[in-house]
Amino acid sequence: MKHLCTTALVASFAMAAPFAPTAADAEEINVVMFGMPYTNGLRKLADDFEAETGIKANIDVIGQDVFENRITLSFTGGTGDIDVVHAPVIQVQRWVAANWLKPITAEVAAMAVKDDILKGPLDAYKINGEQYAVPFMAATGLMTYRQDVLEAAGVGVPETWAEMLEIAPQVTNDDRAAIALRAVPGQGFNMFIFPMIMRAYGGKFFADYTGGDLTPAINSPETLEALKVYIELINDYAPQGAGNFNFAEVNAAAQNGQVVFTVEGTGVVTQIVDPEKSKFADVTGIALPPGGPAGRSPAIAVHGLAIPSSAENPEASARFIEWAVSPETMTKIALAEPFSNFTTGSVAQNAEVIAKYDAVHPDFLRMQGEALNLAIGHYRPLLPDWPSLGAAIGENINAAVNGLMSPEDALAAAEQEMKDILGQ
Amino acid sequence: MTILQAPDRRDHPAGRSLARKRSMTQATSKRRGATYELERGYRRMIIPAILAVAIFAIVPLAGMLALSFSDYHLIRGSKGEFGFHNFARLLSDQRLVNSIYVMSVLSIFGVAAQVVIGTAVAVGLQKIVGKWRLGRVLFLVPYAVPHVAVALIWLSLFTPTLSPINAFFDLFGFTVPTFLTTQNGAMFAIIVADTWTNFPFAMLIILAALQGISTDLDEAAAIDGASRVKTFIFITLPLLMPALLMVTLFRFIDSLKHFPMIFVITKGGPGRSTQATNFYAYVQTFQNSNVAYGAAIAVLLFLMAALISFYVARLNQRVSQ
Amino acid sequence: MTEVKLDRIGKSYGSVEAVQQFDLTIREGEFLVLLGPSGCGKSTTLRMIAGLESITKGDLMIGGTRMNDVDPKDRGVAMVFQNYALYPHKTVFDNMAMALKLQKVPAAEIQDRVGRTAELLGLTDYLHRKPAALSGGQRQRVAIGRAIVRTPDVFLFDEPLSNLDAKLRVKMRMELQELHDRLGATSVYVTHDQVEAMTLADRIVIMNGGVVAQVGTPREVYDRPADEFVAGFIGSPAMNFLDLMRDDTGRWITECGSLVLPSLPVDAGARRQVRLGVRPEHIAVTAGGQPQGDLDYQAEVLLDELLGADALLSLGVGKARLLARVGGTDHPVQGDRVAIALTAAQLHVFDADTGVALRD
Repeated sequence: MKHLCTTALVASFAMAAPFAPTAADAEEINVVMFGMPYTNGLRKLADDFEAETGIKANIDVIGQDVFENRITLSFTGGTGDIDVVHAPVIQVQRWVAANWLKPITAEVAAMAVKDDILKGPLDAYKINGEQYAVPFMAATGLMTYRQDVLEAAGVGVPETWAEMLEIAPQVTNDDRAAIALRAVPGQGFNMFIFPMIMRAYGGKFFADYTGGDLTPAINSPETLEALKVYIELINDYAPQGAGNFNFAEVNAAAQNGQVVFTVEGTGVVTQIVDPEKSKFADVTGIALPPGGPAGRSPAIAVHGLAIPSSAENPEASARFIEWAVSPETMTKIALAEPFSNFTTGSVAQNAEVIAKYDAVHPDFLRMQGEALNLAIGHYRPLLPDWPSLGAAIGENINAAVNGLMSPEDALAAAEQEMKDILGQ
Repeated sequence: MTILQAPDRRDHPAGRSLARKRSMTQATSKRRGATYELERGYRRMIIPAILAVAIFAIVPLAGMLALSFSDYHLIRGSKGEFGFHNFARLLSDQRLVNSIYVMSVLSIFGVAAQVVIGTAVAVGLQKIVGKWRLGRVLFLVPYAVPHVAVALIWLSLFTPTLSPINAFFDLFGFTVPTFLTTQNGAMFAIIVADTWTNFPFAMLIILAALQGISTDLDEAAAIDGASRVKTFIFITLPLLMPALLMVTLFRFIDSLKHFPMIFVITKGGPGRSTQATNFYAYVQTFQNSNVAYGAAIAVLLFLMAALISFYVARLNQRVSQ
Repeated sequence: MTEVKLDRIGKSYGSVEAVQQFDLTIREGEFLVLLGPSGCGKSTTLRMIAGLESITKGDLMIGGTRMNDVDPKDRGVAMVFQNYALYPHKTVFDNMAMALKLQKVPAAEIQDRVGRTAELLGLTDYLHRKPAALSGGQRQRVAIGRAIVRTPDVFLFDEPLSNLDAKLRVKMRMELQELHDRLGATSVYVTHDQVEAMTLADRIVIMNGGVVAQVGTPREVYDRPADEFVAGFIGSPAMNFLDLMRDDTGRWITECGSLVLPSLPVDAGARRQVRLGVRPEHIAVTAGGQPQGDLDYQAEVLLDELLGADALLSLGVGKARLLARVGGTDHPVQGDRVAIALTAAQLHVFDADTGVALRD
């Protein structure tokens, strides 16, 4: 039955995806990733890999939406046309549940680079004792703020979301809002940001995630309080139209000086503090994201490389991954691209890399390190169903932000939908 | 397909003689044999096309249909259930109802705007002669821009902090309302983007149809005493009807596939209020791993498109007669 | 019934003058034909009268009113187009009724007028058909009916018969003639077919290169063409032309001396060179005869073509070539030697440079 279904699935989506090239022989591998600084940088180095190993790597960097169609088609059909795949940690549980990925515990153990890789991100890819991917980056959440504005207003850097709410009216004027935050629905959009507030107030997704009790528990007074803070910030202290902001709009608002604060992923933060891109870069400070009564929980997003179970030449795939996360390759990309959130630790000791990111912002590498230390691996739950859970929660949160429903109703709806998805 | 025929084809001497020839061949059996040979030749020529349609349309369609009766889930696999359960679930799915509403609003208003604007621009462009005719190309530009790029352009135009429109009105102290944070506003934004990129298609077809209408008819109407407006309403418009119907059908069916605009501009938001049916099928299939249910939604969408095509084709036949 | 006056009308497109100085008064009830080769400006002139082309220069008066800037519908004209210009989506009735409906004529009256017109044109049985279901001749009748039903002051015809086959054309031509006799409306008719022009016209205007070459009755333009162009254009087959030079003795001879004329029928003044025109039907041919008079010559039949009632003979007179039209029975054939005779009164003489006909 399953075979019939997958064949049918492949057939029915066959027109949706571009025809993928298949590896002509053992000396050629296909790598499929979606666009970000690291993947763009890696593509440019494909010739290095061939020079080093004699294996030709066809590195395909595509849009995130196309990516999802493409890999779903390839994996359900078991076509074996992808040898190495970009694996966001948030998706890996789902892919493993669907039997899409090959366990690579032994391969990773044999890699010389393994001890150089940050342990937290590496362990995020461990499921039921098996390693399924190797991380190349770990983006974390950081706050940026306008030093000049805070000084002029005579206020300090907010340590908590409550302080943020107090300071916000004091730094707002006709031309400038206090803060910009991602709000558009999606597990990678508002659900990258909102859990920072939720966890600061003690809210949680499940009754006891670490203890194994996966009873949805998002409809709690703590999460409600957090949601009200999120709504107040976006509706009262963010620029007009912020209810539909994604990271691109947040980034632009900060670079154009339309907001004082942002809380964003490191990939966006590096652009906000980059003097070449933002005229306010030299007056922009970096701090940890605000915390709350329950502490501080910076967002984290880990991306890595994995081998599909249908890959025909896993040895070549593993060699590619080892090369791709090696300090040499990482250093090259860190120097060539705006890529600071590498997970290969020794790169941070490279003098050129330090000089480059110190020039962008002296606090950057240090704050990033601190945030990574504070971040919990399951900031967003590591579950096969997370993509659908995150989408359902994100849509309800966004509906509450834009006044389509009350915060209370939104959380109740989110919890009910979580139960439906998990079949409870 | 009669829909593709220029309105005055049968009025044209060549078309007429062709028609006459055809009826003559049917009358004389000797020539019927020759025609049969010819038709067989033609039939052989379309075999590759039939194969292509079979492979790329019918097989995936059959696959989708099979999936829609199954219970296949990307993560949980299948328990082997096979039946109408997905379709039964469709009936009580509030999100599906909303998605059909969103799709209808986007398609009806979007296609109407595209056809009206496309026709207006085509009529305007047709009057332009001489070297300025090249200006036509300018109106094709939006059609050539990839949909994702179009969506990004309009996303920034509808984002108050980025939009030059807002900046301009800010100079005078006016605040342009926010569109993307309300359902109606977001649907409006998607319709605008969709119209901008797709009206040139309507324009092209209408322009071609206009060129097929003899200018003598305009002149005859002028002498008969019709003003320009009346000439357009009583002469041009009825003659454009087959083309208008075709454009509307093509655009409408295409518009049921709303995706890039929604994906880029609103991500289905605010909330999930702009998740049109096609987008919702994507959400169920790829985001929620509910492949079988997603396929059932796609089958429903296909049936709606087929139904519309059928009725428009019938309408077209009536108009052509 | 209306007089149409074209007062030095001109039309130019940029620097190109399509019609120059068209000056003519079309009399009440007259059937005027504009004749000329394609591109001569005849259609442009008609369209200026209709109001479909703007008038660059001059004044157009219809029934005493200046019409230059009046909308086509207010000029009191009706037009029949070359390709009929019937509204394909309307029935014959609606096609004919369109103008009346636009004038808000009461429905009963429309019914009556269209009915009568249809009867006149034999279209009664076809009123509910669409143009696509009609033959070419029927469509042409509908186009004419659409013009008639409005009872306009002036009818304009733009090559109305040129899309019909030869047989039908003759039939429709006669019908048009009868119709005009019955209605008696002022008509302007554009054609490039000289037979239509000769048979239909009260007067013919022959145009060439945007200029009026001659205005006259069919008889006049045939008998007394104003210039070489008109002479060559009217008549089928076309007139023979021979270049003549005057020798010292005052005789006129062709270049190689094949033909010698003791004198010209008109006074050529001081000219030493003229062009002689002879219509093929004005050459008398006698088989085996000998030249007797001054204008008789010996000729050889180089080619003979039988047309039916007539035959065309290609004649060689020395080195000169002449085409003659003779009776179709027992005509001389290729290789025969014949005598030909010209008649002084039927000779046309033109200025060799300007082409203008010389007259006494």
